Amino acid sequence: MLNLMRWLVFSIAVLAMNFPVIVTMITSFKSARELSFNPGFWIGEPTLENYTRVLGETDRFNIYGYLFNSTVASLIGTGVAIALAFPAAYAIARSEAGKRTLLPLIINLRAVPLIIFAIPLYMMYQWLGLLDTQLGLGLILTIVNTPLALVILVNAISDVPSELDEAAKMDGASSWQVMLMIIRPVVRPALVTTFIFGFITAWNEFLFGLMLTTSRAVPMTVGASFFFAASGGGVQWGTASAVMVLGALPPALLGLLMYRQISASLTGAVKG
Amino acid sequence: MAIVNRAEGRAYLTPLVGFLLFFLGFPAAVNLVYSISTVSFETLRSPSLSGFGNYAAVLADREFWGAVSFSMRFGVLTAVAECLIGLFLAVFLTPLLAKRSYLMAPLMLPLMVAPAMIGLMYRLVLHEFAGPVPYYLFEWFGDSPAFLDVENAFRTLLVVEILQWTPFAFLLFYMAYAAIPLEVREAASLDGASALKALWWIELPLMLPTLVIAFFIRFIDGFRVFDNVYALTGSGAGGSTTSLSIYIYQAFFKGGAIGKAVAASVVLFLASLAVLYGLNWITGRGRR
Repeated sequence: MLNLMRWLVFSIAVLAMNFPVIVTMITSFKSARELSFNPGFWIGEPTLENYTRVLGETDRFNIYGYLFNSTVASLIGTGVAIALAFPAAYAIARSEAGKRTLLPLIINLRAVPLIIFAIPLYMMYQWLGLLDTQLGLGLILTIVNTPLALVILVNAISDVPSELDEAAKMDGASSWQVMLMIIRPVVRPALVTTFIFGFITAWNEFLFGLMLTTSRAVPMTVGASFFFAASGGGVQWGTASAVMVLGALPPALLGLLMYRQISASLTGAVKG
Repeated sequence: MAIVNRAEGRAYLTPLVGFLLFFLGFPAAVNLVYSISTVSFETLRSPSLSGFGNYAAVLADREFWGAVSFSMRFGVLTAVAECLIGLFLAVFLTPLLAKRSYLMAPLMLPLMVAPAMIGLMYRLVLHEFAGPVPYYLFEWFGDSPAFLDVENAFRTLLVVEILQWTPFAFLLFYMAYAAIPLEVREAASLDGASALKALWWIELPLMLPTLVIAFFIRFIDGFRVFDNVYALTGSGAGGSTTSLSIYIYQAFFKGGAIGKAVAASVVLFLASLAVLYGLNWITGRGRR
């Protein structure tokens, strides 16, 4: 009986939390005609026409551009964050440097509303010519990703026994070599987690995409909102839904593949 | 033998520190200068210092205080609700989830979807002609509230935020709950404590640090909310859904009031520092 209650609560929670995603998926398989008389959950004649239109009519829908921009910016934002955070994490885990001030400072960065940096960044980007570029967006996403990357990597490297480093140093390796050739392979799972988590975070970022891009480098989250500002005949709900499903799919798939690691690192990050 | 000596340690930290100084330190300095300057889009490179007029203007702006009030209420209410529901789900569902970890995936899915995307999706869900929610409400009850008008928008946004982020609180509590050693539970039940008593007197106190942290993380995220609110209402409904982040964004882009936007940014920055200081103080005490 109690178990039945648990299943019931679980099902309600899953349905309620995923409700907008479910509705959007259903809508994306409805024809424009059916949508106009049937906004409900059941689909009379499921169709792929919304997807073929969105993916086929490239002169009208810039979906490949948005997906490409999101991919490039997220890869930059994640790659640079890891490249910067990994050596820093090694130093923090294996020496006293940065432990007392730098680490807490960067962790706290996660809690600072990033809008406060957005305005000067906009001006800075204007001067540097980085406005509306994938590189510019990617570099800002690096900042968004750095706190969690650092925490995950510091925790992971601290868990590696330092005897490993010492043995390698006895054999004449420099600390740089130890970091790259001994530690890096050992903490590979943490690096992969950091990458996936950072990629999802970067992909889902909206504010900087909205502020720092206008046409060439518009990411998926911002591009999807363009479908709602449709001029004239109102929102085409079928195609808009297909766009949202396509835009939400990459991070969702990555997340579902990695949910175990992600939940572990989320909790690890909180403890750190 | 230190594995990484001081000089090496500094060298390893330098790229990260340099990057952050450039991309955050410089903007922070610009913020401070602009906040005490008269500046427009034309005079971006030559702001003239003018004292604290921008701060005075911001602090006298009723919309600013409206935004502060929105962000405070939104942050507190969503954080409380997310923590309560998340805690309930974690405790109640653990027997179900412990042996079937694959059930965690659908619970975590909302965390993977962009908040901006969720905001857009709710435009569809709540749309009076195309959305299933008004459709079924009309069908079953003959009436449906206007979810995004002045009266209801705030409540609607609360529900949207809570539904997306309760999984985050749930996840933290689930892990904290699972981390309580088995012996603690056995000892409690040997002493004759009921499950509820054990929860209240033993398990909850053990989870308290996680509760505090989860509350603060969710409060801060709710307080600075931008994406889903902007995507869903665009601060519409008569300005009743303008969060502090949206206020700053609009002052800058729509109003061209750069000085005001920047001054509000500095105020927000100081406020978030105060919150962080408070959090560190509380969790620091918890650990001791």
